[in-house]
Amino acid sequence: MPHVEVLPNSASVSAPGWTYVVDRGYDPSKVAINPKDRKRAAARAGGARTDNELSARQQTAIARRIAELSRDNDPKQSIPIPGKIGVPKTQNARRIIQYQRQIKHWLDDEEAQLAQQQAAPEPRRAAQARRVSTMISMPATPSEATPAPTVAPYTQSQSTASSQIDPLLSIESLMPPPLDKAEIDALLAAPPLSYAASHAAPPAPGGPPQRHFCDNCGYWGVIKCLKCGTRVCGLECKDAHEATRCLKWA
Amino acid sequence: MPPKGSKKGHPAAPKQTLVLDNGAYTLKAGLVPGGASAPPTYADCTVIPNCIARSTRDKRTYIASQLSSCKDFGELAFRRPVERGFIVNWEAEKAIWEHEFLQEGEGLRCDPKETNLVLGEKPNCPRELQRNCDEIVFEQFEFAGYYRAIGATLNAYNSPDNSSLSALPQECLLVIDTSYSDTTILPLYNGQLLQSAVRRLTIGGKLLTNYLKELSSLRHYNMMEETYLLNEIKEAVSFVAPSIQQFSKDLDRTWKGRVGDKRPLDSSIVLDYVLPDYERSSHGYARPHDPVKFRMRKGLQPQQGPREDLLPLGNERFAVPELLFSPTDIGVQEAGLPEAIMQSLNSLPEMLKAAMFANIVVVGGNALIPGFVERLESELRMLVPSQYLLNVKKAEDPIKHTWLGAARFASQPELLKEVLVSKAEYDENGSTWLVKKFAGGSK
Ligand SMILES: [Zn+2]
Ligand SMILES: [Zn+2]
Repeated sequence: MPHVEVLPNSASVSAPGWTYVVDRGYDPSKVAINPKDRKRAAARAGGARTDNELSARQQTAIARRIAELSRDNDPKQSIPIPGKIGVPKTQNARRIIQYQRQIKHWLDDEEAQLAQQQAAPEPRRAAQARRVSTMISMPATPSEATPAPTVAPYTQSQSTASSQIDPLLSIESLMPPPLDKAEIDALLAAPPLSYAASHAAPPAPGGPPQRHFCDNCGYWGVIKCLKCGTRVCGLECKDAHEATRCLKWA
Repeated sequence: MPPKGSKKGHPAAPKQTLVLDNGAYTLKAGLVPGGASAPPTYADCTVIPNCIARSTRDKRTYIASQLSSCKDFGELAFRRPVERGFIVNWEAEKAIWEHEFLQEGEGLRCDPKETNLVLGEKPNCPRELQRNCDEIVFEQFEFAGYYRAIGATLNAYNSPDNSSLSALPQECLLVIDTSYSDTTILPLYNGQLLQSAVRRLTIGGKLLTNYLKELSSLRHYNMMEETYLLNEIKEAVSFVAPSIQQFSKDLDRTWKGRVGDKRPLDSSIVLDYVLPDYERSSHGYARPHDPVKFRMRKGLQPQQGPREDLLPLGNERFAVPELLFSPTDIGVQEAGLPEAIMQSLNSLPEMLKAAMFANIVVVGGNALIPGFVERLESELRMLVPSQYLLNVKKAEDPIKHTWLGAARFASQPELLKEVLVSKAEYDENGSTWLVKKFAGGSK
């Protein structure tokens, strides 16, 4: 029999092993932690745990599941190349064809290299790294080839002139200011982001609340298994959950 | 504009160009003749599975296009050279390229020494992988000339009405590439990618298929080895709910109810997918849910005659593609596509931002999911300042559109000449130089 916890504010229900969860709207601190983002995880570590907050165990389970869903190849399966194979023509080609690495290894290499460059930056690189990282708060890609471009933050100052015109008389006042050549040039010269830095940021706070679904049938997850924290829609799915996935999450 | 090539030392342009959009799921490939000819069309593009598949049942291995001769997709295992959109395993990719373009046979054949290669890649490719690619292209395949570009950017050479051939790229174009590996957001200015504004969502066709596979296995049968089938089912039944409000309504209509308060499943949404048995049928099909037939599935089927295995599909139909709009539903900490587009464009000057909203094109296989483009447009409309024009277009053929842009670019010798690197130039300067050159750093 799982441990029972009755949440304050929750509808009082006298059944063992589960409880209604009251969602009090969107709270970014309750959102699952992206394991890639250690900074965010650390920032949250000190805060008080709430009823909705995920345990470390659940976070690991979610990260593992997402990795599984994103996987391109099954490392357990090796499918040999059939038929005649053209021989490598150069040393480079031989080396590259023999690699058995997965994308994860290449991306880890890229991140390690960036971390190294940021730890011991040349003056020019340091300035650039800071600039890019304020833009999206993730590691930046320093470029060996291009000098640090200066992307001027967009300001409203250019529109001062047109704002003096009565807006009712001028359609132009609704139009954004013309493009600034230097600004465009800086944008065009900006180096690519690293793969990790290219990912979209989490949704902004104040957006629609995090949705929770029944782990078994996909309907709303209004009650929570107190053994592992997983959401289910009702008793029937709770039974199914305990018989199947509950232990997997543990 | 693509990076300028050096003015000297260009070879006489060889006769033809192999244009290759090297996707994780399929290759999109076609030969573009060098001389004057009719502009390329979708019909010039061949779609080839980019995989090596092995069946434990018939003990056969299928390379790429050979998959079309496969009849039994049960427990078919796949080896894919491209991971997260980037060519990672060259042993397999080389075998596939050799099989599809080089070896004796029908279809697309070329002699690399007499052919240029225009190769499309995904944005934010690690440099070491770019270098591997360049080395293989010149040292192993020995193409005469080569241009590697971010494939999606060449969509700028598709004219807005998709008819005429233009030497000038579209001035401002926002490409949304929602494909097998992921979904990327690429703002283009005169055909050049604004790198700092590129954004990517982890959610792509692969993740959606794997998610449907996981859900079906949990709720009905163990189908964890049936990737091919689940992909087919996903393509047949998925739709994107028109709004989050309608999503909630559909979720209600497909719920079984509680103990003591059972609800009938709404057969205007719930489907039964008749699974192929791989004896009489290689492919399944969907039909409206029938509770009687569905109960028969549970041991009540006639001993004689054909029996049916049914996979019911309710909320899976729309909750799976919903991940493109709400990745946090499974714990991926990324904004949904409309908000991610705002993240990308908010980093640009207001004028550019306005121009991008007015010219959005959606490419990639997920654009084919019914309701996808409509939902994207209606959610964007709520986020985009109301005085700005919003125009979201689904490419006529989302799968081949990037290839078509690349082919239209490659069919214009004066454009191609600017960017092609010859084998001689590579041999002289090496792969480090080439990676920098294609990144726009060496002029
Ligand atoms: Zn349920
Ligand atoms: Zn549990």
